[in-house]
Amino acid sequence: MNNHSTSNQTRCLVNRRDFIKLSGSAVALLANDTLTSNVFAGRQSSRPKPKSILLFITDQQHIDTIAAGGCRHVQTPALDRLKTSGVSFTQSYSANPLCSPARSAIFSGRTSSEATVYVNGRPIRSDIPNLGQWLSQQTDYETFYAGKWHLPRSYTSNIPGFKVINTGIGGFGYLCDTAMSRACEGFLRNRSKSKPFFLVASFMQPHDICEWLRLNMENTERLRYPEIADELPELPDNFEFDRNEPDDIRQRRRGNEPAKGKWDKKQWRYYRWSYYRNIEYLDAEVGRILQTLEDCGYARDTLIVFTTDHGEGLAHHQMVRKSSFYDEAEKVSLIFSWPGYIPENRTDTTQLVSGMDITPTLCDYAGIKPPKNMRGRSLRPILEGKSVPAKNFIVSEVSNNTGRMVRTPSFKYITYKDNSVEQFFDMKTDPGETKNLAASSRYASVLAEHRKMLRDWESRLDVPPNAPNADAWWRKG
Amino acid sequence: MAKRKSKRTIVGSPLTPTLLNELGALNEFPPSSEDFNLDGNWVNTYRIWTCHGYRESGNQNVGFIRLKRIGESGKAFVLNVHQEVVQTDGITNIIDATIKCRNNQLASPIEWKLSSRFIGADGKNIPGLSSNKNGTVTNEMGRMTGDWCLFEAVQRLKIGKETVLGFDMLEGQSLLKKDQRLSYRGLSKTKIGGEVISLYCFVQLGNGILPYEYWLDENHRLLMVTSMNKAYILDDKAEKVIK
Repeated sequence: MNNHSTSNQTRCLVNRRDFIKLSGSAVALLANDTLTSNVFAGRQSSRPKPKSILLFITDQQHIDTIAAGGCRHVQTPALDRLKTSGVSFTQSYSANPLCSPARSAIFSGRTSSEATVYVNGRPIRSDIPNLGQWLSQQTDYETFYAGKWHLPRSYTSNIPGFKVINTGIGGFGYLCDTAMSRACEGFLRNRSKSKPFFLVASFMQPHDICEWLRLNMENTERLRYPEIADELPELPDNFEFDRNEPDDIRQRRRGNEPAKGKWDKKQWRYYRWSYYRNIEYLDAEVGRILQTLEDCGYARDTLIVFTTDHGEGLAHHQMVRKSSFYDEAEKVSLIFSWPGYIPENRTDTTQLVSGMDITPTLCDYAGIKPPKNMRGRSLRPILEGKSVPAKNFIVSEVSNNTGRMVRTPSFKYITYKDNSVEQFFDMKTDPGETKNLAASSRYASVLAEHRKMLRDWESRLDVPPNAPNADAWWRKG
Repeated sequence: MAKRKSKRTIVGSPLTPTLLNELGALNEFPPSSEDFNLDGNWVNTYRIWTCHGYRESGNQNVGFIRLKRIGESGKAFVLNVHQEVVQTDGITNIIDATIKCRNNQLASPIEWKLSSRFIGADGKNIPGLSSNKNGTVTNEMGRMTGDWCLFEAVQRLKIGKETVLGFDMLEGQSLLKKDQRLSYRGLSKTKIGGEVISLYCFVQLGNGILPYEYWLDENHRLLMVTSMNKAYILDDKAEKVIK
């Protein structure tokens, strides 16, 4: 092969009437692209190891935003392809429904309070390794990062444990994600295929809904685009909310744009319509990277993980954005795909999983032990179809350690510091979290069990004493 | 001592020419050249400005796009695109595209070459991230365009309610966004640079995009494009502003 020649891939897109042919090529000098003989070596062993790992992270993506998962309001061919090529979890929760804290849990396998990322813009505690540091120290994967980081800087060329290939643009998904996915495309097209990699592609979208809210706060009588009136998604069944919620959540709602702008239902529905367009934008950018993996011959040997830092209110409980324990902000997509090793098109609806499970899972696939004191667990046995007992519970927390959520297979318990109003939902009979059962004597004993679970969990954590509200939880009860 | 957040005012309403003027994103437009011919050779440069949703902070110029139309007659013309978008820590993504377009209502792309590269704060190419793409569309009956092609095409559209177009779009000549529609929205008058100007607006709606609004002057020159929190503003000095 001539070292100055380029690798070319040709593919076709078909719209309704046109036939579009695209070919892509890398422009840098290429090393020998022949797959080395050990690429597939792992497949003969009892613990196969993917040649490469690609972790997609999106920002503020509601779990029900994938057409193949049942969302009727979007067209998401790339996410559909990803979902149907692997295993997805429907009971998947963010470890903290806020950007930096959630990301600290994903990259450390520890609670955000342990990682001391209890609010946005803090770094992971220095004695806890992040996934990039751990993999680069313990394996032969080269570790790369593209896009939003937020631990502490949102966009930076300096991330411990990673070589940053693209920094993104602060705060704006539209331009940021396009540049980021183009960088990933260039990276994949130019890279020698003999070298294993761990690449994080961290998208900003659909977070642009935050800018949308600020640019559409004022309610207007007339829809800005009357031609979409018939397309506006309906409001969710749990649009109404309990007037006796804890103050923490009521204050958050009052501070949001819909309350300030006194939105009517039409405005809420327009917000939902706009959010779904951001999802479609994101989908196309994810598709660019998936297509490049395919074009360059990586697809069969790459473990792909897709997740989100936290969800989006999306009008459930008349909430927007994040930082609440309701499922709309707490639940996140979690998809694993690796052709031949992870079953296709399987949806796990029973296992409780958390963002904290990602680090131990990826370490397991990389053939190494995770760092000590993981709070999550490897999901590999579940992904390989082994019979695994369901986890009894998972815990999530909010900013400054001021709130905790315990989710068990049947119930959700929510408590805030210095607030006697607790929330307790029967998630089997009331998945929309509309009836608070905390004051019901019928549930007193099971509620007490949940309080104890939280206390016991907290007592085992390694939260530095100078963290805000460090000892508030294990003492509670 | 904890930092005190400065008071910020939420913008509250979608970007319009008037609002862009209020927010300081534009003061004036370059004068229209007397020999500006929509169907001829021209160069338009747009500054790319983004809004964080607050009046006082977070709004910035992040890049520019220069479109050069070549070809005065015939069935096709060439559109050269040069776009630079500045990222954090001085990294810049540079896109160059040469698109041969059909001389139809949508400036439908026939064939194109596109390159993407990144330079660092030192201005040097970042190795290993560049890519090239070639593409062709082979069905003459198609209703296909590209987002950059629309910057050219919209200037040639007939202004009036009867203008309603349906099409599929290649965003950045690479990502297919189906089921787009473009229609004439209306005329508004806006005071910019001490002068009241008439602006004709077309709206694009479709899958995978937030609505785009194209704002044209009386000579059909595209002065700006707004979509959610970003604006492309005609500005001869855009490149200097960014660099």
